[in-house]
Amino acid sequence: MGFANTAEILKEPACKLNHQPDRACERPKGGESCAFDGAFIVLNPITDAAHLIHGTIACCGNSYEGRGSLSSGSRLYRYGFTTDMTEMDIVYGSEGKLKEGILYIAQRYKPSAIFVYSTCIPALTGEDVETVCKDACKKTGIPVIPVIAPGFLGHKNLGNRIAGEVLLDYVIGTRRISDFGFRISDLKHTINFIGEYNIAGEIWDILSLFEKIGINVLSKITGDSTFREITYAHHAGLNLLVCGRALINVARGMEERYGIPFREVSFYGMKNTGSALRETARFFQDKNIIERAEMVIQEEEAFTKKALSLYIEKLKGKRAVLYTGGVKSWSIISALNDLGIEVTACGVKKSSLSDIDKIKSLIGEERILKDVSPKNILEAIYSTNADILIAGGRNQYLAYKERIPFIDINQERHTAYAGYKGLVRMAEDIVKTIYSPVWEIAKKKSPWE
Amino acid sequence: MSCTEIMEWVNTKEYQELNFKREALVINPPKACQPLGAIFCAAGFEGTLPFVHGSQGCAAYFRNNLSRHFREPFSAVSTSMTEDAAVFGGMNNLIEGLQNSYSIYKPKVIAISTSCMAEVIGDDLNSFILKARELNVIPKDIPIPFAHTPSFVGSHINGYDNMLKAILLNLTDGKKGSKNNKINIIPGFDPYVANIREIKRMLNLMGVEYTVLSDNSDVLDSPQNGNFEMYPGGTKLEDTADSINGIATIGLQKFSTMQTIKFIQESFGHEGLSIYPPIGIKATDGFLMKIKKLTGRTIPEELEIERGRAVDAATDAHQYIHGKRFAVFGDPDEVFGIVNFLLEMGGEPVHILTATGTKQFGEEMKVLLGSSPYGKLANLYTGKDLWHLRSLLMTEPVDMLIGDSHGKWAARDAGIPLLRIGYPIFDRVNLHRYPTIGYQGVINLITWIANTFIDEVDRKSDDAHFELLR
Repeated sequence: MGFANTAEILKEPACKLNHQPDRACERPKGGESCAFDGAFIVLNPITDAAHLIHGTIACCGNSYEGRGSLSSGSRLYRYGFTTDMTEMDIVYGSEGKLKEGILYIAQRYKPSAIFVYSTCIPALTGEDVETVCKDACKKTGIPVIPVIAPGFLGHKNLGNRIAGEVLLDYVIGTRRISDFGFRISDLKHTINFIGEYNIAGEIWDILSLFEKIGINVLSKITGDSTFREITYAHHAGLNLLVCGRALINVARGMEERYGIPFREVSFYGMKNTGSALRETARFFQDKNIIERAEMVIQEEEAFTKKALSLYIEKLKGKRAVLYTGGVKSWSIISALNDLGIEVTACGVKKSSLSDIDKIKSLIGEERILKDVSPKNILEAIYSTNADILIAGGRNQYLAYKERIPFIDINQERHTAYAGYKGLVRMAEDIVKTIYSPVWEIAKKKSPWE
Repeated sequence: MSCTEIMEWVNTKEYQELNFKREALVINPPKACQPLGAIFCAAGFEGTLPFVHGSQGCAAYFRNNLSRHFREPFSAVSTSMTEDAAVFGGMNNLIEGLQNSYSIYKPKVIAISTSCMAEVIGDDLNSFILKARELNVIPKDIPIPFAHTPSFVGSHINGYDNMLKAILLNLTDGKKGSKNNKINIIPGFDPYVANIREIKRMLNLMGVEYTVLSDNSDVLDSPQNGNFEMYPGGTKLEDTADSINGIATIGLQKFSTMQTIKFIQESFGHEGLSIYPPIGIKATDGFLMKIKKLTGRTIPEELEIERGRAVDAATDAHQYIHGKRFAVFGDPDEVFGIVNFLLEMGGEPVHILTATGTKQFGEEMKVLLGSSPYGKLANLYTGKDLWHLRSLLMTEPVDMLIGDSHGKWAARDAGIPLLRIGYPIFDRVNLHRYPTIGYQGVINLITWIANTFIDEVDRKSDDAHFELLR
């Protein structure tokens, strides 16, 4: 089995607090999704690759087509490919079936690559997915990449990191940009995004900002990406680590292997977006770029403030309880502060130690919510007199049942909240839910009561 | 071939043949797995906590899935087995899980189903539960029905069936007593809460006493009253126990109730039968006649008038449906019901596709199609997926696709509307609050199908043909 290095993956040297047991890497008590899910979330946005789930119908049948990552090109990534293992496959083995499945995909769809996810059952029965992939790769000439992330290995974040290792070992650095007719000397001021998944199209708003400044985004890892652009990501000058917790190992690995420095940034809120643009521009030490960045920031902030004027009065002084999934809570807190919203409690079950530190410095230790059971979330909302719950989809209907306004901040949301335009959309969505007239009806007793 | 050429090639007849030869790979499966059906079933009993024994992650998927379809919170717990459990077995996980579940969520019943991992390592649920009771981590008398529901066998409809059988086995044990006057109704894996309500309404009109076995209508459609309740309804446990003393049991789906009906026939000592869902006029007539026969009750005037209204709706709108070509996919029972309804309206099912489906299903579908001149064009494909369906839509076009939300890409590629019926529906609101069965269901189906066609006409009309009257 190929997951002997689980413990290694959990230790993250680039995590500044790694001398302490990283809370984020602790085994959870349940309720969260699994390592397979985490690995799939990271790799699935590679749009022109095929993603084949080797396992029983559980892993694919309950989840395919359900991700919020958008594509500007291929839609192959959305297809639910699975070997749909049956009892017979378990008894007699299904390596042959897997191989046949891979060959079928290679021949009929001509994907840029095939990611093969090994889930609980093939991992338990000890199938050699790695060798099958290697053989298929030789036969087809297409990269066939094993992702050994059975759910029982642990939680979603572990799966994120396994996917990160896969990117480092099988994708990044496997081709040179000169293979595709570009000259390395042409590459000026290039960056990669790491840990940005183009949920609801967020990356498109961010890309346009860098374009205006004159900074080139070489590879997006992995939102709205092609396999090809990730293979030559090692030519970039700087990595921007957007979702720190999930893919910090990729940023660190690229620093070690290719000497590419990384910066942790966030694009939620005006303040964060401004500093991300500024920090990136300054990195290149080019006066023109720095000046243009300042100009873009000024223009965008002016535009944003104007657009926000519709909402800002309505949001001033509102109170929110926040429980994000993958998105860094501290960056959302900052975005909410931009809108005049105070965060009265923040769930940290899925946050890393360094994230928790930042959250503490923003809202104070007493507002940290460690137990995020439904009961506790509700209690936090009521005891702090909050106006809205900002969390993931699984808490949406819990909030509605309690007549609490809600917006979705996770994977499956349909609105892009990053960057300047995103902040305006966030303001609009929050106003829409807090000021919806349905709460008035919902809160009133029936007239005969 | 370039990408564009491939995309064109996959629309050809030549590709379709290759596509149907595909065996090792499933592309876009129209099915979910057993434990999803199991927790859906378990949630329909009073105070019952659905409990999944298996790997971390499975339960999170099921909860997400059900929550998105019904737009309701869905509570279920998981033992989150890890590598240690793979090596040493899942006993500790199960015992600790039972202890936590009981102390935190105070259920009246804990209904255990399994996901793949527990099944592959062969956990002995019965002995683990006994051990938990021995250790006093849970009360001696709390019912803990358990079902083996591996995802590598069957689909969600089988998980529903296995869990229901386990719950009935557990709760009716030793309850055999004097006959009550009730008829037991098993809805099956029915994603429409309104269907359960519709059945109850019709039975109330007839004055029939009944118990719905797994009544999750109040659990998955609870009123907005400002409080989240973990157990907002479900079939009463005493009614469930007493179901063994009923006069008969009738399953409203055949393939999601097979094991349960067999168990009832063997151990309840009363008639147990299953029918296809009462979708359409004739099927609803058949259901009511069956109830009449079993209970000796007559059909009240209200239902007679309702039937007349449904027939009126059918005559008013028949011209929009007669002669139209349809593709239908989904679970076997629901697909059978919809095909039956289409034939009744003169709609022509062309492609009928299910991911599962037994030989019996195939034969009965053949008889149904043979019974109508509108069934002549139809081909049934069992054990197939939505990529097969896409090929069919491309080579032999139809006017409308009927199925769940996953069909939206195939429908878009084929340039036809998707009428959302079945499970899951993630991209429309409130459909589960409208019945598809009974006479009311007839009116709803006609409304949705005919209006969708009329919307298409409006959308595609040039100015000259854009009219007020349709």
